[in-house]
Order: sequence, then structure tokens, then C-alpha cells
Amino acid sequence: MADPLFEEGFLTTRLDYVVNWARSNSLMPMPMGLACCAIEMMAFAGPKYDVARFGSEAMRFSPRQADLMIVAGWVSYKMAHTIRRIWDQMADPKWVISMGACASTGGMHRCYGVVQGCDNFLPVDVYVPGCPPRPEAVLHALMDIQEKIRNDYSLAQDYTAGKIETLDRALVGAERPRIVAPDGNRIVTPDILYTQN
Amino acid sequence: MESLKFHFTPVDAARPNAVNPHAQPTTDRPEAVAMLRDAFGDGVTGDETYAGETTVFVAKGRIAEALQRLHADGYSYLADLGGLDRFTEDDRYEVFYNVCDLHRGRRLRVKTRVDESDLHLPSATGVYRSANWFEREVFDMFGLVFDGHEDLRRMFMPEDFQYYPLRKEFPLLGIPGSLPLPGHLPGEDLSYDPFPAASSPTPKSFQEPEVSGE
Ligand code: SF4
Repeated sequence: MADPLFEEGFLTTRLDYVVNWARSNSLMPMPMGLACCAIEMMAFAGPKYDVARFGSEAMRFSPRQADLMIVAGWVSYKMAHTIRRIWDQMADPKWVISMGACASTGGMHRCYGVVQGCDNFLPVDVYVPGCPPRPEAVLHALMDIQEKIRNDYSLAQDYTAGKIETLDRALVGAERPRIVAPDGNRIVTPDILYTQN
Repeated sequence: MESLKFHFTPVDAARPNAVNPHAQPTTDRPEAVAMLRDAFGDGVTGDETYAGETTVFVAKGRIAEALQRLHADGYSYLADLGGLDRFTEDDRYEVFYNVCDLHRGRRLRVKTRVDESDLHLPSATGVYRSANWFEREVFDMFGLVFDGHEDLRRMFMPEDFQYYPLRKEFPLLGIPGSLPLPGHLPGEDLSYDPFPAASSPTPKSFQEPEVSGE
């Protein structure tokens, strides 16, 4: 894809569309069920709410086969290290849903043993409010993730924000590639992807 | 406008002749108290019956023997074991044991008190195997050391945690810098619980209103 003809041309953008369509309709969740929210997560996967309609019915308990982590329940400090490790084992590209008040903010567990929000150590994409959230709310979060994927660049490069080749590995570590601003090694927040339709 | 008042739950003193309409004869066990008094004499430091439930207090050095005696008498099931911080000058901690006799339908509560100056007491794991994890939990939360327990490690908190969270002096929000969290990126340094560190230096639980002396 180094040839400028292919970088943001017709072929790659159409291919992008197909890849994103396939990716967004076959998300495989890694159910990180930690507390009571996990029960609602089961309802979300079960026949009544039927997440198979959105292509995500294949829950994978192996991080190698999953690309969407649903953190359902409160995260203790001891568990945080395990969750982080599972997250690191998941293959790119990957997304996180923080399900419920506890995973998002610590919720009612305002005490020494519970991490006050799993975004202290995970890059959360969607927060779902509620205690527990209804399965519909989790479905909505899944649809938000799908929308995010469809608006993403996977093959074509986003020239509005700079070239991916200028990515500084030391700055972003082994994370998924981020867009880097033209003026140097500053990481551009993902909002820019949504503002420039 | 009505001024707001903070209401506390009144503290109930034990009423000796209280009647508990739900009490079952299974929990009123004077004969077990008599049996323990016969066997241990001064080792039994007291007993009380409140709302139809019998509690025996045993000196902490003899608690394992007392449980052994009860086990031989038919109380073969240790339903529960836990600790509490009475927050008093002497005999600060208390450990309770709820034992059941499943064949004859009897229940008894045994208690022992542990002073802050010596946090050791004999383990019940030699008598009841179910005491294993209960004692680990009490060790984790209060720092009481059960002598003779073969695997006394922390149960819920990380093993290198230095405090005992259910002691009354432990602040509810934790102590800044005591619990590590993974960093945002792989290979990044650990961060230390951002939440208590971001709050004010005085823990919130110390700022709460106190019970006025009554
Ligand atoms: S948000 Fe509510 S339902 Fe979910 S884990 Fe917390 S307490 Fe449980």
C-alpha cells in the first residue's frame, strides 16, 4: 500500500468499507463477568435479547479469539492485573465496553478494595450506565462499537491528520496504531475521525 | 425550614430476658455450657443467652480444645467463623465460631477474645477442616494469627498488602500508595490507586459526623 495511488484511492476506501462491514458484524466478545452485571450480560447473549442478530453470539473465553472485552462488574485491585493481562493477550484490533456503574466509576463500592473505574488501566470505548444496565443498553453499546468500527480507517490512510508511518513506537508502545499529527509525535484523539465525514 | 438532623441507629444493650418470637429450641443449649464448664473449669470465661441463643465464651488458649470437645459431642459442622473489632482498650478482637450438630438439630455459638498485645490464637483447622479459609479471611482482615494453620496467607487482598482493612482505624477509602494498578500501556510503570490519592489528605471516613455521647 506504499504506492500513493492506493493510499486513499477508490480501491482502498471500498476495501475499507468491506473490511469494516465484516469486522463490525462479527465481533467476538470476551465476557469479563466479575459481578452481578454478568447476569445481565448472559441475558444479552441469550435467546430473548439475542445478540446473534448483531453477529456477536460467539462468546470466546480465550483472549486470543476475542476482539471485544465486556467488563461487567466491579474490578478489585487484585483482579485489575489479571484483566489487564487478558486485555494485552487479545489480538488487535480490539475494543472495550465498560458495563455498569461499577466498571465505569466504582459505583456504590466506594471503598479501598475496588478500582474506581476500569478506565484507570483500560482504554474504554463505550461506557454503559445502569446498575445493572438492561440488556438493551448493552446491545446499544455494541451497536455504538459497530458504528465506531464502520467509521474507522483500516486500510486507507487518513491524511487529514498525518501519515501512519510517522508513528513513534516509543510513544505508543505496542498499542494499536494511532493517528499521529503532522507536526510531530503527538497522538491525535480519535474524535477527529468522527468530525471529518 | 426544618433543620436536618443526622440520625443514628440506637445501640441495643443486651436484654437478659428478651423474648425472640422466632427463636427455636435448637439454639438454647444450657447443657452444652454445663458440659464445657465441667470439662474446662476456668477455661470457660462466661456464657450468655440472648433472645433464645446461647453463646459460650472460652479463653483463647483453650479454644481449640473446647472445639475438639464439642466436635466429639456431636457438633460436627463448623458453619461459620469470623472476627470483629470491638474497638475497646482490652480484649480488642473477638472471634466467633458457629457450630452445628446436624444429627440432633443443635446449634451453639462459641466466642473467644484476643487482646491487641498478643494477636496469636490456636487454629481450629485441626478440628474442623472448613475453618481453613475462614481463618485466612480473619487473618487478612484483622491480622489475627492462627497458630497451627498450615497455609495462613491473605485471602482477598494482594499478598504484599501491608494493612488490615476491617480494623476500625483503617480509612474506608484506603491508604494512598498501598495498592498497585497496571499502567495504561504494556510495559508502563504501575500506578498507585489514583482515587484515594486524588481525594483530600484526610480520609473521608474521618470527616464523617460522630455519635454524640449519650
Ligand atoms: S453496576 Fe450494579 S449490577 Fe453491575 S456489578 Fe455493580 S452493583 Fe452489580
